[in-house]
Amino acid sequence: MKKVILIFGVLSLLIFIKPLLGFSANTASATESTLISQTDSIVEKTFVDEAFDGMKQFYHFTGFANAQSGNLIMILIGIVFIYLGIKFDYEPLLLIPIGTGVMLGNIPFVAGYQTGIYEEGSVLNYLYFGVVKGIYPPLIFLGIGAMTDFSSLIANPKLMLLGAAAQIGVFATFLGALYLGFNLPEAGAIGIIGGADGPTAIFLSSKLANGINVLADGTTVKNLIGPIAIAAYSYMALVPVIQPPIMKLLVSKKERLIRMKPPRAVSQKEKMIFPIVALLLTTFISPSALPLLGMLFFGNLLKESGRTERLAETARTKLIDIVTIILGVTVGASTQADIFITKDSMMIFGLGALSFVIATAGGLLFAKFMNLFLKGDDKINPLIGAAGVSAVPDSARVVHAEGLKSDPHNYLLMHAMAPNVAGVIGSAIAAGIILSFLG
Amino acid sequence: MIRVLLYTDTLVEGYIILITGLLIVFGGLILLTVFFKYGLPIMLYIYKIITRGRDKKVKDISPKVNQDFTGEIAAAISVAIHLYLDEQHDEENAILTIKQARKLYSPWSSKIYSAYRNRL
Repeated sequence: MKKVILIFGVLSLLIFIKPLLGFSANTASATESTLISQTDSIVEKTFVDEAFDGMKQFYHFTGFANAQSGNLIMILIGIVFIYLGIKFDYEPLLLIPIGTGVMLGNIPFVAGYQTGIYEEGSVLNYLYFGVVKGIYPPLIFLGIGAMTDFSSLIANPKLMLLGAAAQIGVFATFLGALYLGFNLPEAGAIGIIGGADGPTAIFLSSKLANGINVLADGTTVKNLIGPIAIAAYSYMALVPVIQPPIMKLLVSKKERLIRMKPPRAVSQKEKMIFPIVALLLTTFISPSALPLLGMLFFGNLLKESGRTERLAETARTKLIDIVTIILGVTVGASTQADIFITKDSMMIFGLGALSFVIATAGGLLFAKFMNLFLKGDDKINPLIGAAGVSAVPDSARVVHAEGLKSDPHNYLLMHAMAPNVAGVIGSAIAAGIILSFLG
Repeated sequence: MIRVLLYTDTLVEGYIILITGLLIVFGGLILLTVFFKYGLPIMLYIYKIITRGRDKKVKDISPKVNQDFTGEIAAAISVAIHLYLDEQHDEENAILTIKQARKLYSPWSSKIYSAYRNRL
């Protein structure tokens, strides 16, 4: 104790003595001296005036002075996101980080002090790097792979087609975006909202509509990562609102009552072979989707191999949580009002809603189409077609809930998981195709 | 002959991407479907032939999995096990007071013999 007091005493003595002796080598004391000279020159001003000036200066740096209506609207939207997440439990793991991020990104600030997410060198800008370069999405896919059980898909491979059918939403939106006057890469990035897969949407938009790429005619593409990611995630969260009306419209009461036979048990060998074979087949078809599909099936192999439980455990809990937190906040913060509130964003939101509707309808109608060729208890309940829009596992849950409404003993969750995970694969392949066409 | 288009309509290109893209997505997933419908059973069957016992005939090994054992049964069993394991707890002491841990001296944990003594 004595020693500590002694050392502390000597240190404080040194610090106090230093300016007296004139060791003013560091910059802090240099600025101090200039400040002193300034106060000397305006010595006529009273203390109150100076304090008032200081307050004014301070006020110009506060958010109150710099706030614009756009900032306030976005902050309100952020609060609505948080409210939706907490109150209605719509994907709270995404909406709460994104909502907070939206608030963070729209706190008004004075530009030029490395505060904002778009300012070179700011902390948020560093975290945003992983979004711009498409680093986070594959890491999320690794976790999703380590979480997903593909056994219902292996037991009933034909349900894989429903996952493909729902991708019509991607391509229809792509066309819609072209009609609205977006150029090809932008339209491709907007289209992927219909894949209902947040990480895929971010991945593709960071490659195509990142505000850096230059087109053949010399124009630079717009930076649409923020609007696209927000549209994808918010519509994913709103799947329980969007899908049921379409289901009611397209699937008759009788069809909703179809009971599917329980899927067969799948052996461990099949589960182990699945990720390897699926990895090889899908990435050979669509190599551009390699980062997404590679990580997805790698994660699944970690889970199913039975030898790497530790790695799988980390991937599906800690790793995906960390990445989700950072991804959510930075994507939210990228909605800085002056960049986000544009006509393009509004159009993207409109197209996004449309793409979810088309994707759901595509899945449902294709399931009905498949039923024309299936007999007896092989028939599938068309409702599960709606789960083909990935949005894991929300759309499967919605299908299950809708099935229960018609028949309280018809459990569709397990069946709906098959097109659901097929939808993830399908949208990643679609992203790869769009990337290889337009990248 | 190579035709060079001076002006390509983005919409035309869009339709081309639409159709080819959809075809490729479907093609890819159909390929996966076909493989898991037919290819995988054959692979597993071959694996069985390779690993069968010496005096067993291939005929005896049925490639069919037990049809009665459905995923529902498996799910029910795993839920039961999950619930059972969830119930199990260690006997824990509810009293939360911090006790001073008595440390016995040992040269292994002694600061005097620390590895970096000479560096400082």
